[in-house]
Amino acid sequence: MHEYSLACEIFETVIATADQNKASAVNSITLEIGRLTHVNPDQLLFCLDVLSGDSIAEGAKVNVNFVSPCGECECGYKRDSGVPDNACCDDQQSLYEYALMTCPVCGKLLQLVGGNELIIQTIDIDI
Amino acid sequence: MLMHVVNVNKDVMKANNELAHSNKKLLIKNRVFAMNIMGAIGSGKTTLIEEAINALKDRYRIAVIAGDVVAQMDASRFEKLGVKTVAANTGRECHLDAKLVERSMENIDLEDIDILFIENVGNLICPVDYKLGENVRVVVVSVSEGDDTVLKHPMIFRTSDLAIVNKVDISEAVSADPSKMKADIEKLNPSIPILLTSGNDRISIDRWIEYIESYLE
Repeated sequence: MHEYSLACEIFETVIATADQNKASAVNSITLEIGRLTHVNPDQLLFCLDVLSGDSIAEGAKVNVNFVSPCGECECGYKRDSGVPDNACCDDQQSLYEYALMTCPVCGKLLQLVGGNELIIQTIDIDI
Repeated sequence: MLMHVVNVNKDVMKANNELAHSNKKLLIKNRVFAMNIMGAIGSGKTTLIEEAINALKDRYRIAVIAGDVVAQMDASRFEKLGVKTVAANTGRECHLDAKLVERSMENIDLEDIDILFIENVGNLICPVDYKLGENVRVVVVSVSEGDDTVLKHPMIFRTSDLAIVNKVDISEAVSADPSKMKADIEKLNPSIPILLTSGNDRISIDRWIEYIESYLE
């Protein structure tokens, strides 16, 4: 289960950044998760919640922005996946649907660009 | 008290990619050809690596990084064949990452090696996100996992360089259709080479070994 180790890495970065900025509390954490990343957001949030207990990040709200891959074809056709980046988790296509997106011009499978991120964007702290 | 938004902008996945890149540079510098062998538990990864070692060890210097959650079973199978073996125990993780491979490579004299097999942890999901610095990613799927396994795990077939459908000799016994699995792989990745193999079919194993040799000088 790699959500736990990813949550550990996120938690350590959040606490280190908060300490550098002499924070007394972390109010919220904003993450960007690529839709092709094999990360279950619910599990990740659960792990983060458990890890941040008894720390200055206890109870911090975690905001998640999802990033969809862009489909590109050799023929030059380009399109986004048709899912708004910030659509909620339940709105996302399955990996299967992403993997089978084809080019409407030449019918070839689209190359998927992006969507593999797990970015800690910002933290909102009290100083 | 002051509320303050701090820009962190750290990509947790990118950190692994950067480490994988430095592993790759180290492997290229030492002229080592590295293969990342991925697949479920029981798909036949260890046997396929053993067959390759037996066929190639007289002509090439070989090392293996054997990834496992715990235990040394696979590592001792490779050691018995007389090749340098490092057991990379992930502890609780479901995949090898670039850091573990970097640490494992510290125990291998890369100058003294031509081929490095990296046997990943038995899993078709998590290894997708973690590049290791390998030259070639190989996914092994056995018919006993069910012939719908390919479409259930699309990304590993999209991101691999070679797909192996293994244990095809028992297809009938497990009610699986290897030609469906091959067609599903082609649907997901039309350019990927696909090998249908069985430990009981020497010709199919020879094709696997020829594939590896095609990368070697």
